Amino acid sequence: MWKYTLKRLIQGIITVWFIATATFLAMHNVPGDPLSGQRATNAAIRANLEAKYGLDKPLTEQYFIYIGNLLQGDFGISFTQQNRQVNDIIREHFPVSATLGILAVIFAALGGVLWGALTALYRNRLPDTIIMFLVILGISVPSFVFAALGQLTLVNLNALFGISLLPVAGWGTVSHMLLPALVLGMGTMAYLTRLMRSSMLEIIHSDYVRTAKAKGLPAARIFTRHQLRNAILPVITVLGPAIAAITTGGFVVELVFAIPGLGRYFVQAVQQLDYTVIMGTTVFYGAFLVFMVIVVDLLYGWIDPRVRLQ
Amino acid sequence: MNPPLLEVSNLQVEFDTYGGTVKAVRGVDFTVEEGRTLAIVGESGCGKSVTVQALMGLIPMPPGRIMGGSAKLRGIEILGRKTVEGREVRGAEIGMIFQDPMSSLNPTMTIGDQIAEPLQVHRGYSHRQAMARAVELLELVRIPEAARRAAQYPFEFSGGMLQRAMIAMAISCKPTLLIADEPTTALDVTIQAQILDLLKDLQAETGMAIILITHDLGVVARMADAVAVMYAGKVVEAGSVDDVFYRSSHPYTLGLKQAMPTNKRDAVQKLMPIEGSPPDLFAPPVGCGYCPRCPHAMSVCATQPPLPIPVADAHYARCWLHHAQAPHSVPGIYYGDGHD
Amino acid sequence: MTTPVSHSQILNSADFAPITQRADVHAISRPSQSYWQDAWARLKKNRRAIVSLWLIVGLLAFALLGPWLWQIDPARQDIDQISQAPGADRSATIVAPYAPWDGTVAAEFAGGSGLRLAMAANSQAVRLHWDAVPGAAGFRLYRNIFAADDEMAFGLPIADFPTPAAGYYEDRLDLRPDTYYYTLAVQAADGTLTANYQTLAVPVNRVITLDEVRERELAPAEAALDIGDEVHLALHPLGTDYLGRDMLARLMAGAQVSLFIGIIAPFLYVLLGVAYGATAGFVGGRVDQLLMRFADFVVALPFLLFMILFQVVFGIGPGESGIVPMLIALVVLAWPATARLVRGQILQIRQEAYISASRLLGARSSYLVWRHMIPNTMGVILVTLTFAVPSAIFTEAFLSFIGMGVAPPTASWGSMSNEGLARMLTHPHELIFPSLFISITVLAFNLLGDGLRDALDARMRSFE
Repeated sequence: MWKYTLKRLIQGIITVWFIATATFLAMHNVPGDPLSGQRATNAAIRANLEAKYGLDKPLTEQYFIYIGNLLQGDFGISFTQQNRQVNDIIREHFPVSATLGILAVIFAALGGVLWGALTALYRNRLPDTIIMFLVILGISVPSFVFAALGQLTLVNLNALFGISLLPVAGWGTVSHMLLPALVLGMGTMAYLTRLMRSSMLEIIHSDYVRTAKAKGLPAARIFTRHQLRNAILPVITVLGPAIAAITTGGFVVELVFAIPGLGRYFVQAVQQLDYTVIMGTTVFYGAFLVFMVIVVDLLYGWIDPRVRLQ
Repeated sequence: MNPPLLEVSNLQVEFDTYGGTVKAVRGVDFTVEEGRTLAIVGESGCGKSVTVQALMGLIPMPPGRIMGGSAKLRGIEILGRKTVEGREVRGAEIGMIFQDPMSSLNPTMTIGDQIAEPLQVHRGYSHRQAMARAVELLELVRIPEAARRAAQYPFEFSGGMLQRAMIAMAISCKPTLLIADEPTTALDVTIQAQILDLLKDLQAETGMAIILITHDLGVVARMADAVAVMYAGKVVEAGSVDDVFYRSSHPYTLGLKQAMPTNKRDAVQKLMPIEGSPPDLFAPPVGCGYCPRCPHAMSVCATQPPLPIPVADAHYARCWLHHAQAPHSVPGIYYGDGHD
Repeated sequence: MTTPVSHSQILNSADFAPITQRADVHAISRPSQSYWQDAWARLKKNRRAIVSLWLIVGLLAFALLGPWLWQIDPARQDIDQISQAPGADRSATIVAPYAPWDGTVAAEFAGGSGLRLAMAANSQAVRLHWDAVPGAAGFRLYRNIFAADDEMAFGLPIADFPTPAAGYYEDRLDLRPDTYYYTLAVQAADGTLTANYQTLAVPVNRVITLDEVRERELAPAEAALDIGDEVHLALHPLGTDYLGRDMLARLMAGAQVSLFIGIIAPFLYVLLGVAYGATAGFVGGRVDQLLMRFADFVVALPFLLFMILFQVVFGIGPGESGIVPMLIALVVLAWPATARLVRGQILQIRQEAYISASRLLGARSSYLVWRHMIPNTMGVILVTLTFAVPSAIFTEAFLSFIGMGVAPPTASWGSMSNEGLARMLTHPHELIFPSLFISITVLAFNLLGDGLRDALDARMRSFE
């Protein structure tokens, strides 16, 4: 297990390096000089940047400066905001995105397991039909539509009751977080529900559940000890990609709900072509996602004895 | 004679499938005596596994359906019981082991925990007591280093070891009947013999009865006291192992014997396969299910289902050849002492 | 044991005659079906999948045949009908061409006091006049689309009048057929507003000049039209967007873009993935190791993040739609999943006994690939392709929504949703229609994919 952990960590580091290099090369292939034009007219910013990145030096040298900075955890300075460190931007805005994301992941995972198990137990009966219809909707409706419709509904509900049930946009209190987290987790929850359902169905038909029945165990014990635990395993394996989906989905939800998260900042940077912020946040997000996947895989290994003991 | 331990009569099971309704078991009768072994023999798809799964309440419903019949354990009906008493019968009174031990154990629970479960549920043992008993049971089924093994997971066991663990689990509550559904089919030949010996020894020690499902006549000869031969969802011949082997009364039993290799020195006879394949149970035949493949079929066989006709004490065959009006002239068929 | 039973039927000796004529014992009792026949029969039984299939055919027809039936340029702006809801009234009265106004009040509007109309208000102009207010230093005129209920909500200030005298004003600013609320607020000497104001609700009728009717061909050329006659403006069955462009035409144009990316991109990357995975699986050994290690790296890249990065790098130039860069980016990033899947399948099939048997019979590699490996992976590939379509449509919509997708004025469902979002509260149809199309398309492909998987995957059959 330790060897496996080490191997995964090394793989992860190589992947992050690959992402950093790809980002660097991509940004240096942007047509034209990133400092030209109206974007960095401010002479002070320009001078700062040139000194920092050695923009007058050859590409290889720039690359080593860039990687060196990254190794020191320095993502550079914003192109559009004078003397604003990308590190500061991340430090300021990422906790907001992380809070929203964690809420959404918890919501999606709990909901997915619960609804999935329920539909499998009530297979082909009314609860199954209703939930699976909602799940298909959840998978087919893009997150921005959920966000917009959620907001629209909330506006109308607030108007209907004449009081503010929940704030429509913004950030700060728990009440600000509920609707965005719900909206953000919706698609993933639908996906996990489907996965949990098929996993449960497979296990309900498995030989070892038949054995458990032959042992005369009560249905509740079979459900908790034999079905649920085994059915959750595949759900855990996809939590890594689910976290990635929720993180990128956050870009849109933050935009719609005017939440000051890193995602919204990233989208703005992309729209303004703020190259250092794009590079910095891409590498940061990339590293975050790569290591989340590793954490989830290790968690899975710890839970599944077949992996843990080999 | 004591009343039988288990008496099954006219058991019928159907399955709804994509292609239609399969009448998998079409009226099965047999009895199991206390402490004895009944072997149920037949080729794949003849309904032998479905029969015992119905007894254990393991038929998935839907798509399965028990259409009728009864199964009495010491005179108490056990068929179709989903209640608490039904669970008490399963696991406590009747233990069961399956064909593929690799997939029949929960991969994420230790062997010890899985053996301990029935004890906790049916006997009210604490977890500690049940685990201690699980280790004893593993020793009983001759697993070395039982204490260490009990803490391991199924993937750390070999196939033979898993089947021993399955047996330990099935006998944990000292059942009066053990159902073994093709217990050795998935195992190596050398392991098969060990498992069969183990079952025999355990039977001698505990006095439990065994229903052994198999398609291997060698296993039958080695293990069984009584035999029921199944074909197309019905028992076509039943009797003691000697009756069925040496005084076969049904052409199908005869066919099975001729298809089995022997190691007699002077045997020059060729292996004789049974031509054709079993009938389609989506639309079961009107007459005898074996009629299309039977070399001795008569007109009546195609139109009337044969009823069981006794040929000797506790030995019957479901075959028109034994009818009083039939010629009684087929070579190899045993017609009872009066006719031979 | 079973008690002896006697047969009740009366039987005669003929019943016990041996059967001489026998049916073929090897006959197969039910007709055999090929894999694809069986799969098709299963799919046909799945009503949701079949409905989805027809829905997809319908959507393709909407995208391809629609513009041919509904020949409206999706880029044409109809400034008379901006952000118009579907089914809105589109009648207009013909009036004389605009003529400058000198402040005279029309005869039928004579009399009255305070802020009032000087002539009939229409979308050409709203002409107001008012009386002097004693003690006022001046006036400020506001316009709003809601009734003002306090001094803070007068709306848009449109003019200042530094005199307390009676005055007049002509408003021609972007008038629509709607009710406008004009407020004349009295200013104090220092320019601040006093609590003294008067409000006038003005219903505005839509008008059009004869020249415009002729120019825009709103009536048959031979029709004799006169001032005061009524004509109908251009029909927009699903309304218009914020630039007055026809929603139906834009949805059709958007369907072309979204479905093009949604179908062509998966087709290309599944093809690439199949070729890559099949090569790795078939060649095996070190080549396989190398190829799959590379695929692992591409898989590890955060997909949407790199899609955004690619879009930035390609930098959509002026006049470009941005469709091709998105296609390329999708293909470059999305192939490894299929490659892994196909490689796994091929490796599995290579182990099968029938491949060994075929080899023993002297089959060449190309025969094995074409006769055994491809047909046996076809089902999996087809299912992958069906599920790849909705995910590609989602990706396109997501990127266009955050402004990194197709460039304006090219329409895609995603970019239309993005544009609709800003006006969601006042003109929800601009968001709802494109979102609905995305959702229905994704839904249809998902359900079809489910149906195909159930029909093709033999393992799932026992559960049904």
